[in-house]
Amino acid sequence: MLEVRDLSVRYGVYTALHGINLQVKPGEIVVLLGANGAGKSSLFRTLSGLQRPSQGEATYDGQLLTLGRPERCVNLGVAQCPEGRLLFSQLSVEKNLRLGGYTHRRDAAGNQAELERIYQLFPVLAEKRSDPAGSLSGGQQQMVAIGRALMARPKLLLLDEPSLGLAPLVVDQVFDAVVRVNEAGVSVLLAEQNAFAALGIAHRAYVLEGGRVTIEGSRDELLHDDRVRSAYLGV
Amino acid sequence: MLILFQQLLNALALGGAYSLVALGLTLVYGVMKIPNFAHGSLYMVGAYVTWALLTDFGVPYFLALGLAAVALGLLAMLLERLVFYPLRGSPGVSPMIAAIGVLFFLEACVQLIWGPDFKLLNSPVTGIITFAGLSLTGQRLLMIVASVLVMLALFYFLKRTTTGATIEAMAQNREGARLVGIPVGRVASLTFFISGALAAVAAALYAPTSLVSPSMGEIMNLKVFAIIVLGGMGSVPGAIVGAFLLAFAEIFGGVFVGANFADVVGFAVLVIVLAIRPQGLFGRTA
Repeated sequence: MLEVRDLSVRYGVYTALHGINLQVKPGEIVVLLGANGAGKSSLFRTLSGLQRPSQGEATYDGQLLTLGRPERCVNLGVAQCPEGRLLFSQLSVEKNLRLGGYTHRRDAAGNQAELERIYQLFPVLAEKRSDPAGSLSGGQQQMVAIGRALMARPKLLLLDEPSLGLAPLVVDQVFDAVVRVNEAGVSVLLAEQNAFAALGIAHRAYVLEGGRVTIEGSRDELLHDDRVRSAYLGV
Repeated sequence: MLILFQQLLNALALGGAYSLVALGLTLVYGVMKIPNFAHGSLYMVGAYVTWALLTDFGVPYFLALGLAAVALGLLAMLLERLVFYPLRGSPGVSPMIAAIGVLFFLEACVQLIWGPDFKLLNSPVTGIITFAGLSLTGQRLLMIVASVLVMLALFYFLKRTTTGATIEAMAQNREGARLVGIPVGRVASLTFFISGALAAVAAALYAPTSLVSPSMGEIMNLKVFAIIVLGGMGSVPGAIVGAFLLAFAEIFGGVFVGANFADVVGFAVLVIVLAIRPQGLFGRTA
């Protein structure tokens, strides 16, 4: 279980997150809604150890994530599929995926099995396994990025804006895959601007505004919340 | 006609040595995004370490080559930890200035220990191989064979091993590499080790055909920077192609224009290539 307690992140004089509290329980899909600059990516960077918080902490199953050591977070079972994907664009699709299993590099058989599972989840990647990741379409690159994160065999998957810049049909495919990953027992924290699609698969959600959690609740509560409806669902 | 073939072999030998030095420089640039202006001095120290092992300690040549490679690998790692790592957050020009400082520092150290005089590095690989009217000294043949073997080993390491893949991954996306749990600090150390070791191997191979002096590092520096700019900064195939291109330009420039102008021809090629393709032969526009 992910627990974020009173977490603040500052860049110089600018405060990106002001004392955030949130949880992701085992098996949940939790959606984080918010506009650009609301602090979603800052939160994700902090949970992955890329950024140290100025205050507060985040733990996974009681183990501290916020020590500024990304490899520790991966080893604790928290993997991130980042905004912008951050793929190794000249390396092949398969090499990108295999590098996702870097922390399990002594378990070749396990990595091979995981790789096969990802090719089942995204059959198009099996066809393109030898192509440079950078040559793929945006949607396929997003699949590589999700697959790379899954290769770490996470218990919690952090997904930052997976639908950004993708065609609606591809967004559906990506969200379908997220649901299947979740059904296989991985909890998911999903940051999205595409509120309607994201709430469709969520169990619970938080709304982040100006670095603060302003609304939280179950999926149905948020779908019927007037503020959410006007600001994020456009109804 | 015969002289052209003869010079072709000489160019291959020179290109092999240039490749090894340039590969280390381009790997470090790829991973760290810093031009290591101290790289030439690693090459120079590598030549002195080999020389000292051969003459002062009577170590056999191939063992001396291996020991120099390890010693320079460790020195390069130390350099990364002591100079570049502490400067990792500072503006772009600081590590460059620090690297130039290291270049002068190492040169002064070598002068202090071994003096400013030229040294002759005697290779035990003597003899001349003659075939169809072409002759090749044993040392040049060794340069060609050894540099090809080292390059093949490096390619195998980068393309076929997980540790090698982490170097390429970090060069292509540092943040992505951190997110999959690759320890980027260790990869940086490893990359510096490889660059120092390659420079020492090149020095041990090439020095017997020329002379060893404290300033040899600066000359090599100029050439390998020209090579990786020519090939595209950070590109591995670019470094190899650039190295052979420069070697061929120098050797054949020497033949057709005159030996005194060999270097001029080499840099003229650099200017022409960059005028047509500013990002280098294998570089990508940012």
